[in-house]
Amino acid sequence: MVANSDNKKISKKIDELKAGVDWFYSDEFQLDEAADRYKKLNSLAQEIEKDLNGLKNEITVIDKDFSK
Amino acid sequence: MDNPVVYSVTEFQAICNQIIENAFTGAIIEGEVANFKLNQGKYVFFDLKDAESSVGCFMMAFSLRFPLEDGMKVRIRALPKLTKWGKFSLTVQAVVPVGEGSIKKSLELLKKKLSEEGLFKPERKRPLPSEISEIGVISSTQAAGYADFCKILNERWGGLKVQVAHTQVQGEVAADQIIRALQYFNERSEVQVIALIRGGGSADDLAVFNDEKLVRAVAASKIPVITGIGHEIDESLCDLAADVVASTPSNAAQMLSRDKNEIIDASWGNIQRINNLLNTRIDEKYREIRDLKLEAKRQIDVKITTFQRDIEGILRILEQFDPEKVLQRGYAIISGKLDVGSVVDITTNKKTIKAEIKEIKDRN
Repeated sequence: MVANSDNKKISKKIDELKAGVDWFYSDEFQLDEAADRYKKLNSLAQEIEKDLNGLKNEITVIDKDFSK
Repeated sequence: MDNPVVYSVTEFQAICNQIIENAFTGAIIEGEVANFKLNQGKYVFFDLKDAESSVGCFMMAFSLRFPLEDGMKVRIRALPKLTKWGKFSLTVQAVVPVGEGSIKKSLELLKKKLSEEGLFKPERKRPLPSEISEIGVISSTQAAGYADFCKILNERWGGLKVQVAHTQVQGEVAADQIIRALQYFNERSEVQVIALIRGGGSADDLAVFNDEKLVRAVAASKIPVITGIGHEIDESLCDLAADVVASTPSNAAQMLSRDKNEIIDASWGNIQRINNLLNTRIDEKYREIRDLKLEAKRQIDVKITTFQRDIEGILRILEQFDPEKVLQRGYAIISGKLDVGSVVDITTNKKTIKAEIKEIKDRN
């Protein structure tokens, strides 16, 4: 189930990115912290793009004769 | 008639049947249905006729994949047989309606029947799972529709585990193959959704997706079924029985997968937005500091001006007390001993005068 776990990792990263972006719009926003957080999110977006483009589907034709 | 071969009736009929069987391994015959009868829900009898001839037909009800009624034009695959009562009949192995009118009529009858049984009710439909990672596909791997499905799926998303049951998707045997594939996926319960895929084709090509047994198998599937059959305008009974209908195989792939490019674009869109937000916040902070600085300067200027005014006021007051200013207004300063006969100094604006005091009196 490699494919599935890779998907979960990417989903986790996407959720992390969303939460990180939400912080910028929240009352917790602090300009002092913002630059560091922005750099981390930028790296995360790069990772998501790389991971998504690296994922390949596993398509298997079942070894069974359905005519019988 | 020396030593003639003498058969019993049974032997004779057996030989005749053997000859017929050898002659016709499976005759394909087209004709019109007449005297259709279903006995005990198991046995189907009808006559197949044309303008000049007619032949009796028999088949098991479970082999009947489409509703039949008198007047419909059909094509049958059958084994001719001489019955033990000496009647010639056809044992039908498969029957399909032919001609636009018969196909349409048969489809209407089946649709009505299955609809009355509730197979197409909206409340039976299940949504697709929100997170799909395992898909079962039923299609012909040689079909263009299957290639389209895989192409779109691979373009949109990765990491999916796709099991493909290769079956025929048109022709007489296709329905049973697809049913077996549905059973295969349902028995294993490994996939979250089953996609039944077939590209476009003629009404005859797509007729398999109106097969009663197949429609029932789609409706009975424990695993949700999505159909992507034909083009957008095509609607089969399998579509009506499926949980989700895609207009084409490509559309099915779209419905089963997220678009990674949308996610990548959305991620970068978010980064761009927070970048803009950050710049806005920095600009705001800069303006805030600049305004504070300006305000501080303004306050200092106000204080300085106030101090200056105060000092000027004080200076003006002090000026009033300046003796020179008093002299300028015409007053004089007398200095010395104020006794009669004393000499005092009188200072005016422009002169200093010595004078002797002659008399001193109180003013009141």
